[in-house]
Amino acid sequence: MNITTIPKMKHFLPLVLLFFCGSLLAQAPNLAEGKALFRNNCASCHNKSMKDDMTGPALGGVEERWEGKEALLYDWIRNSTAVIESGDEYAVSLFNTWNKSKMTAFPNLTDEQIASVLGYIDDVYVNGPAVVNGGGDPIPGEKGDEAGLSTSFFVVLFLILAILAVALARIISNLNRMAEMKEGGKPGQVATLKDILTSRGVIGFLVFALVIIGGFTTVNNAINLGRQQGYAPDQPIKFSHALHAGQQQIDCQYCHDGARRSKHSVIPATNTCMNCHKAIKKGSLDGTAEISKIYASIGYDPNTDTYMENYEEMTNEEIKPIFIKYATETFKKDNATVAKYADSESKLTRDADEEAEKQWKGIVASLTNPSKEKVSGAIEWERIHNLPDHVYFNHAQHVSVGKLQCQTCHGPVEKMEVVQQYAPLSMGWCINCHRQTEVQFASNEYYEQYETYHKELKSGKRETVTVEDIGGLECQKCHY
Amino acid sequence: MDKKNQDIWVGMAHKNNDPALVEAAGKEFVELPIIEALSDDKIAEVPANRRDFLKYLGFGLGAATIAAGCDVPVKRAIPYVTKPDEIVPGVATYYASSFVKGGDYCAVLVKTREGRPIKIEGNVLSPLTKGGTSARAQASVLELYDVNRVKNPGAVGENGVVTKMSWADLDKTIGGKLNASSNIRIVTNTVLSPTAKKAFAEFIVKYPNAKVVTYDPISASGMLEANERSFGDRVIPDYHFDKASTIVSFGADFLGTWISPIEYASAYAKGRKINPKRPKMSRHIQVESGMSLTGSNADNRVLIRPSEMGAAIATLYSALGGSVSAPKLNNKATAAISKVAEQLRGSRGNSLVVSASNNVMEQIMVNKINEMLGNLGSTITFTHASLQRQGIDSEIQGLISEMQGGGVDAVMVLDANPAFDLYNSDKFITAFAKVPLKVSLSYDLNETMALCDYTAPNHHFLESWGDAEPKRGHLSIIQPTISPLFPTRQAEASLLVWSGSANYKASAEQPYYEYLKTSWNGFFGQQSNYASFRSFWDEALHDGVAKLGISEREYGTVAATVNIGQITSPSNAEVEIAFLESINIGAGQYANNPWLMEMPDPVTRTSWGNYLGVPVSFDGAHSFVGYKGIGQSMVKGYADVVNLTRAGAEEGDRITAFPQFGQPEGSVATNLGYGRKICGGAGRNVGTNMFPYLSADANGNTQYFATNVAVSDIVDINYDFPCVQYHHTLGVTAKNEAGETINADEAALVDFTYGVVDQGYQGSLTNRSVIYHTNINELSEFTKELGHKREEAQALNAQSLYPGHEYLYENGHHWGMYVDLNACTGCSACTVACMAENNVPVVGAKEVSRHHEMTWLRIDRYFYGDVESPNTVYQPMMCQHCDNAPCENVCPVAATNHSSEGLNQMAYNRCVGTRYCANNCPYKVRRFNWLDYTTADIFPANQIDLNEEEIPYGADNLTRMVLNPDVTVRSRGVIEKCSFCVQRIQEGKLTAKREARKLRDQDVKTACQTACPTGAIVFGDLNNKEGELHKSLDHNPLVYIALEEINVLSSVNYTAVVNNRDEALDA
Repeated sequence: MNITTIPKMKHFLPLVLLFFCGSLLAQAPNLAEGKALFRNNCASCHNKSMKDDMTGPALGGVEERWEGKEALLYDWIRNSTAVIESGDEYAVSLFNTWNKSKMTAFPNLTDEQIASVLGYIDDVYVNGPAVVNGGGDPIPGEKGDEAGLSTSFFVVLFLILAILAVALARIISNLNRMAEMKEGGKPGQVATLKDILTSRGVIGFLVFALVIIGGFTTVNNAINLGRQQGYAPDQPIKFSHALHAGQQQIDCQYCHDGARRSKHSVIPATNTCMNCHKAIKKGSLDGTAEISKIYASIGYDPNTDTYMENYEEMTNEEIKPIFIKYATETFKKDNATVAKYADSESKLTRDADEEAEKQWKGIVASLTNPSKEKVSGAIEWERIHNLPDHVYFNHAQHVSVGKLQCQTCHGPVEKMEVVQQYAPLSMGWCINCHRQTEVQFASNEYYEQYETYHKELKSGKRETVTVEDIGGLECQKCHY
Repeated sequence: MDKKNQDIWVGMAHKNNDPALVEAAGKEFVELPIIEALSDDKIAEVPANRRDFLKYLGFGLGAATIAAGCDVPVKRAIPYVTKPDEIVPGVATYYASSFVKGGDYCAVLVKTREGRPIKIEGNVLSPLTKGGTSARAQASVLELYDVNRVKNPGAVGENGVVTKMSWADLDKTIGGKLNASSNIRIVTNTVLSPTAKKAFAEFIVKYPNAKVVTYDPISASGMLEANERSFGDRVIPDYHFDKASTIVSFGADFLGTWISPIEYASAYAKGRKINPKRPKMSRHIQVESGMSLTGSNADNRVLIRPSEMGAAIATLYSALGGSVSAPKLNNKATAAISKVAEQLRGSRGNSLVVSASNNVMEQIMVNKINEMLGNLGSTITFTHASLQRQGIDSEIQGLISEMQGGGVDAVMVLDANPAFDLYNSDKFITAFAKVPLKVSLSYDLNETMALCDYTAPNHHFLESWGDAEPKRGHLSIIQPTISPLFPTRQAEASLLVWSGSANYKASAEQPYYEYLKTSWNGFFGQQSNYASFRSFWDEALHDGVAKLGISEREYGTVAATVNIGQITSPSNAEVEIAFLESINIGAGQYANNPWLMEMPDPVTRTSWGNYLGVPVSFDGAHSFVGYKGIGQSMVKGYADVVNLTRAGAEEGDRITAFPQFGQPEGSVATNLGYGRKICGGAGRNVGTNMFPYLSADANGNTQYFATNVAVSDIVDINYDFPCVQYHHTLGVTAKNEAGETINADEAALVDFTYGVVDQGYQGSLTNRSVIYHTNINELSEFTKELGHKREEAQALNAQSLYPGHEYLYENGHHWGMYVDLNACTGCSACTVACMAENNVPVVGAKEVSRHHEMTWLRIDRYFYGDVESPNTVYQPMMCQHCDNAPCENVCPVAATNHSSEGLNQMAYNRCVGTRYCANNCPYKVRRFNWLDYTTADIFPANQIDLNEEEIPYGADNLTRMVLNPDVTVRSRGVIEKCSFCVQRIQEGKLTAKREARKLRDQDVKTACQTACPTGAIVFGDLNNKEGELHKSLDHNPLVYIALEEINVLSSVNYTAVVNNRDEALDA
């Protein structure tokens, strides 16, 4: 209400930008809307290039593929299950091609909105990503649309001006020489390259450029300090989200059960892993090596399928034989019929021992550190998403109330072998999303409090209520 | 200048129009005397000078540059191995429990996060405390994380240093020293737990010569004995302050410290809240000699010297028809008391007379008075008599002579500290030394523990199982909220182990839990609400409280006879001293709690110590003078030091003195409980120990005054006086050189010579609306006048500096608050609750004296009326969340700005510390972090200021466990202030959103609101027309907004204070 100092600038700023950006900004308005919708709803599964597959198929040319059945396409977007059930041939084949995974339903999208998304898809497919809004970077706030635009714009401008400057300098020096010759004097000596490079003008310019570039780099790096987009450290256990969430289709919130009710999404406790891994004792990728780490953490004896008594009191030396035994026996059992061991029992034993020792070393390396000597106890994962202490973020607000998909912020985790930080987690990124995201206004009685907005929506004066409209950009929504 | 006026004032300098005050009030930030700081001999110890600073700066810059090129440090995310079902990380879990310390009791809910208790809330299901809390209960969570706790069982060396032993070894050692015929004494303060008493009984079965000795440092022994003689029942009766229309208290501080203050305050406030349509309130007359919290809330105070208490009671008794000849009382009090008697007669059956006297005969007279007034059975009942004081002074005195005679083989001291809090502690100490086996069962380091041979440290109550019976038939459960932090053991369990009880199964997972449950099986039969024990127990555990069906007990007559010869006779001493139990730290039990130490005493507004309150007298012409000229320099943050001596002592105590309005002539007063010598860091050597000044009467009951004292002239100046009285003053008027009334807090804006306008400076008002007060008889006139004043203020505000900016908030929420000043007793539970909830740092005595206290919510204390016996107003003052906030406009970086819900927001990470906002805040509620008070990375140079602690309070990892993880810990260089508990607002909104329903009142309650025992604070959404806030404000003619005329549109509403003072009593 009272962020007083800048209201006038607000009106002025777009004008300034418009002046600088000129014709580059000119575009059909529905593309911008389409882009926003695509980002919020589609980008978590469909590739932004429109040309490559991701969790879902590449969307380029989608309208051609559904040629003649536009209404069905719109239905598909709103609720694909219904279309599949209706028995449409293409729909069913699409469903089967994509491992029978269902597309998220978007029942709230209007025809206009779908049209603009399709328009945007087509535009990107045909013209490439650069055209819409200049930058075309799908991650909000990553670089800022205007920044992306102006960088290329300024490079061009800089080059033109530089050429102009060189040309003018030449003209001036030529004119000077001509003038001197005209006056009858001896023609001035042609400046050598050294003279030019050591002239006051050039040095002055270089210093100026250095200050500007240095300042720009410093500020940019300073802003990025502590941000770690793309951070993908090795974890103590080679847990594959691609396997669990992608292939096995385990719901994110089965393990991260805090997301719907707490500020923390919660790294699952070891006993959550045990719900499945009591039965699944061998992994498809690493055999027993990684799953044994879970057992070593919680104190589960895979030889006897029982939890060990007083496990916390046991030393590493006492624990070791259990896992050595398990690894040896498993190796022997798995390799008993392998040809190379067919006639050599001792070789099998030797390799089994070697493998077991290797696995135990892995367990110790993963589950201990200088401040934790025992393998028993919690698995210390490396934290990937780190918000500063002065930021309050609540998963339940976004997942339960805002009904956001996990992928909106965390990216296609179901495709990641090693999880990485997908979003920049910068304030600009948060803010942009709050500007664009609509509040789940209709379905939640809480929002009846906002009577004015309801009236405006009804009268058509207002089309959407974004998070910004209900105060989502205010400082104390996240900082207190 | 008149002795009586309708002005409000904060202290003597204000009343006297001290030019220094006028100058100081104009500044938000006090100008600290730099020269003094430089001449401070500690400066030599400062390891960093200016050059070092530059080195640090250079190094810091370099380090930052290098750090910028490096990776972010690896952080770990450590999940549970097996997650407990009841814990969801990030979501608070609440457990019902009970805060019990000696006789102090409060039913509480303990908020835990990730298994750590972080905040105490009141339990609304308790019929006693009704959801209210006290400052002590609020602060008790910090004690859990006290670094100075006794952490191990073992042998005790000098100064309480413990040589570790295992529990098994200790049990063996102690068991070996006890035999069946040992004369064992268990020394304790009041024990509320019926199960603990069962454990004692089992101990006595094993050791038949064992005895439990109960005493209370602030004793009600005289009253218990009087009641035994009067009614045959050694209890404290059940008082009903809500049913009394006339309340007369002889020195009983029932709102602050006496017996059960939370319960009494809640009942008392019912009779004090005003319904303007049917104005009616109780009349409260306090007869006392030192200004207590209760006395300051009274309508009339009758001032007596401490030794006149018996005479005063006798005078009332005889005035009501008792056949005694009362000793001579001062004339004014005699006249007043005869009028009090008339009033009491007029409200027969619904009056209440209470007394804190520890003299048996005086208490018998009080019983007689209540009998004559027909109060027994109406305002005083006995069925649910209070058990909150059980100590008998003669028992502990008997123990001393027994020990002196060598007849005691072993003493177990259970959470009591007789080596400090007895009037003859010195005798106790010499006698105690003769006992062959001395065992301490306390969890805190104290004087008595240090004298013991062994320590078997108890759990903190947040780690314990237990129960309490604060009143007959009212049970309360104590359940652990965290695993014991240290290898401690519950004291009852220790006794059971040593007694080899068969009922205590040491091998069980939670042996004392089993024992407690078995004990409760006995209570199951005494109630009829539950059919199975299981449901009774589960329900009790869930609710935290349970009620038993008990037989009615009523006493209509007083059996004892009055023997006037046994009351205290008034002394002729030139000066007498009255001792009050400190609201902050009791009799010293809470001394090691930094939150309580830093909380200003509500009446004296001092912190970190006890100071001598001296009377203020009017010289008849010009000014008010403190006794012996004391208190002239207080406004500069200095105070006078005097020498207080008692007859028989080798040397006196140097004590800082300050003028206290309402202190009777010929008397001085101070708080007990300070001056602990062996104690954790916070309480050690803070203040002066007053227990040696006490004495006992003929019956051996401790008397809380002394007549044999002398107060010297000023001998020194205390330059670090941590008194907040003149900090953050607002609306203070003064006279300028031309004699015109001005706003002192605007004085700095204008040159004195220019002051020609007659109303303040620059045409502003001097008639500031900070406090409004009236007498109940003038209520209708007053409300009209208040209406006019508000209209006038609103007319002044019609012109806005920001035309076009309207604050409608018709959409969504608009947060607001209502503070009923008639219900506020000033108890300060809210200030501590605010510190706990919002991670407000403790800054220490020196920093407080430099105006650097960080409290977001302070309670301003104003006097008005008769200067000799003024009435008092307590005004909780927090950020008013102005819609036209002056702080917002001046922030150069927009770090403070307005939310669409009416909150004045503060973004710490944006703040650059210009402090313009604090300068521009008319309510002076913004606080600046001069130092990095809560984290350990501060320059060593700053540390000398923090009470000579090596690291500041709260900077160690154990203490930091108390921090609220939802609130940022602020660093140096930023401004902070009340946020209306925005974290609670956000949490409440989220709950409503998740449940897809409208927000309800109970979803969002601020920490101060939940802490308040009297319901004086109501927070809510002004847009919710059905909400409690709306109902409180709607058409209430007593509501006003502080400083409404300056057009800041604040969101906090106050009520005008209404008193029921009877002028006739003053004459």
